[in-house]
Amino acid sequence: MLQIKPIINTLMRSKSGPILLLIQIILSVAIVANASFIISERIALMDRDSGTAEEEVFDFRLYAFDSDIDIESQSQRDMRAIRDLPGVIDATTTSMVPLSGGGWSSGYTIGNSEETAKDTESAAIYYGDDHMVNTLGVDLIEGRNFYETEIVTGSPDLATHAIVSKAFAKATWGDEPAIGKIMYAGDFGSQPLQVIGVVDKLQGAWVNSSYLDNSVILNVRLVNVFTKVLVRAEVGTLTQLKQAIPAVLHKDQPNRVIEGFTLISEHRKRVYRNHELMATVLSMMVVLLLLITSLGLAGMVMFNIERRTKQIGTRRALGARRRDILSLFLVENYIICIVGGIIGGLVAVQLGQQLMTFYSLPKLELIYPIMTVVGLMVLTTVAVILPARKAASISPATATRSV
Amino acid sequence: MFFYYLDLAWRSIKKTPLLSLLMVLAISIGISITITTLNVYQLMSVNPAGERSDKLIAVQLWSQGKDAWKEFNAQVTYQDAFNLRKSDLPVRQTAMFVTGLAIQTEDADLSPLLETVRVTDSDFFEMFSVPFLYGRAWDKSVDTEAAYQVVINEEMNRKLFSGENSIGKTLFLDSKPYQVVGVIKIWNPSPQYYDVTTGAFTDSAQLFVPFSLAPIEEFQSWGNNQSWKRDSINTYSDRLNSEMHWIQYWVELTDDKQRDEYAQWLTRYVEQQQLLGRFDSPEAAAQLSNVAQWLELNEVVPEDNKILVGLSALFLLVCLVNMLGLLLAKFLKRAPEVGVRRAIGASRRQIFAQHMVEVGLIGFCGGVLGLIWAWMSLSMLSARFDLENSLTNLDPSMWIIAPAIAICAALVAGTYPAWRICSTNPSVHLKSQ
Repeated sequence: MLQIKPIINTLMRSKSGPILLLIQIILSVAIVANASFIISERIALMDRDSGTAEEEVFDFRLYAFDSDIDIESQSQRDMRAIRDLPGVIDATTTSMVPLSGGGWSSGYTIGNSEETAKDTESAAIYYGDDHMVNTLGVDLIEGRNFYETEIVTGSPDLATHAIVSKAFAKATWGDEPAIGKIMYAGDFGSQPLQVIGVVDKLQGAWVNSSYLDNSVILNVRLVNVFTKVLVRAEVGTLTQLKQAIPAVLHKDQPNRVIEGFTLISEHRKRVYRNHELMATVLSMMVVLLLLITSLGLAGMVMFNIERRTKQIGTRRALGARRRDILSLFLVENYIICIVGGIIGGLVAVQLGQQLMTFYSLPKLELIYPIMTVVGLMVLTTVAVILPARKAASISPATATRSV
Repeated sequence: MFFYYLDLAWRSIKKTPLLSLLMVLAISIGISITITTLNVYQLMSVNPAGERSDKLIAVQLWSQGKDAWKEFNAQVTYQDAFNLRKSDLPVRQTAMFVTGLAIQTEDADLSPLLETVRVTDSDFFEMFSVPFLYGRAWDKSVDTEAAYQVVINEEMNRKLFSGENSIGKTLFLDSKPYQVVGVIKIWNPSPQYYDVTTGAFTDSAQLFVPFSLAPIEEFQSWGNNQSWKRDSINTYSDRLNSEMHWIQYWVELTDDKQRDEYAQWLTRYVEQQQLLGRFDSPEAAAQLSNVAQWLELNEVVPEDNKILVGLSALFLLVCLVNMLGLLLAKFLKRAPEVGVRRAIGASRRQIFAQHMVEVGLIGFCGGVLGLIWAWMSLSMLSARFDLENSLTNLDPSMWIIAPAIAICAALVAGTYPAWRICSTNPSVHLKSQ
């Protein structure tokens, strides 16, 4: 390590090369740290569990445009027919499909009196029947499911019972048990809903909303010319049910459009597409940037070696071992790397700050610049060692021939 | 002289193939990342209204109550749309929303199709410059006296009537007969600026029906329906009388003077509604935005794209610094040769020019290679993420922009090394020969 001082002297003598390298490292650290932070943040977003059996549950749309159809009884016949199909585990009509990007949401009012009443956080609303919990494949952890007799048919205003997600229960009632609590769908006092069950986890339709985990299932079988149907079936039966379901429904009433058939796992892919795209492009950027930085570094070292062939030869002639020559270049590299890393880390934090101010990004965590610098040290070591080994093998005789 | 320098540059590149290749790679990768992000950004931020951008105005009303939303909603209520249509100030105006209807023809073999349908006024087509293949929009009188008429697009015409002129023919929407009055050419502005509420990069509807039919046929809204008030909505007329925001409203105004007049008219409208007990927020007002302002307001270019463009610019900078270092190395290595040339009479200017030509050549190669990378990465991304084609086609302007950026960037990076080499004293290098 006694070599440090002469190395710094060498670096100071021909400034432009090392300075360029320094700038490159600073910029690389700033970009890579922020990019990898955004990537990991997006991956964390995409990893969130919807709470449903995503590979088993699919939805389709049913449009009964013929005004002669009595939708109420038709819908009940349809559901029975679907549930009887081989491969189908359960089915229900619904107002919304998890992760689909479209549906219903609202806040509710809670409290003891009009004066103390307050609004809850918003929640996604699933209108469905006693088959909803089983169809979604969600985990009922407290209370009970709807009884068949509790299901009402018609408009959303008829709802009386609610099954809520744990996240919604926690946000609304804190640590108090949610079972038995009353919330109001209208203004205070109008349309009371009694909470009868809590499911462990159930996400709504909008993955970018702040209340994604807040969901409510209400005991209403909606009656509408336009119906969404959720079906839970054994994995791999979708292709066959895509044919079987329209066949059986059209046999009953042909004047209907039946289409859609999308697994929740496919909805997931679609709604997270932009996040995945961002993560992919940024990953490409990080990999290429590291590649360019290390190639550039290797190129510079190669050039340095050629320029300093005589110097290296002289050192070797004076008794320096190959290892000494190698470590000379490595130490030189580490000095630049560490200085660049420190400044780069500061720039990275600044850049993160700017991104946070202008865009809805969270604050950059310090571990990212640190990890980037460490990673860059490893990478540059490889980029330096390869050409430096060549330098170390220069024989003193050839190197000093023309001195 | 230029071609002589080009020849020299080529020889020099051949002499140090590895170093030159590194440089071309560095700049091409930098360019390709920049072009990829720039391409997507450009296509998202393009203003498809062109020169009509300033004339087409989106209308927004702060009609919500005190404790409701904290900003103008992108849509208006049916009541407001109904009232706004009464103004005769705008040259053209239209209220609209999307719905979905089942389509059938007299051909019984054709199974019903469920399609997105735009419910709008006759002015829509003229305002947004929709090109017609056959026929034209329904008559203006239909906007007040509802009639069962429909405009379809070329593709739908092909599907339903095998592409022939179908004007006057009948098709069935939700089992009701509609007369085809117009067939439009494929028309799909991207971004879909006239309705950004369900995403600015969705496809345009293939069918258009009169807005005046909405209360009669009770078309459901397939777009966003936003309520701030707890209206109880059970029937369609409840919906029409509610405070729910679900209709897009656009007007066409010829100039600023007319815009001011219309703004005043809207102010009076707001006051008049306040007398009726609506618009009870202190912020009650109207807001007008032209297309450019509208795209900005609705943040049509996603934040992600802005971040990507910024980061890729920094990325390009890294590539340039990288190239600068390599160029410096390469040029300085050639110092003895330059020394000789200087000694036998080459001027500094000539040396500088020669090196800049070499740098430019490297930049050009990098630019071309970068375009190829960009094209590859865009097609890979579009295949992987199944993106709209319009977003991943390489914009034609990029064929000029990419090499231009590459050459400029290379020249910027090359200036310092070229200057260094031409400003060194020849005697220093001659001595060691």
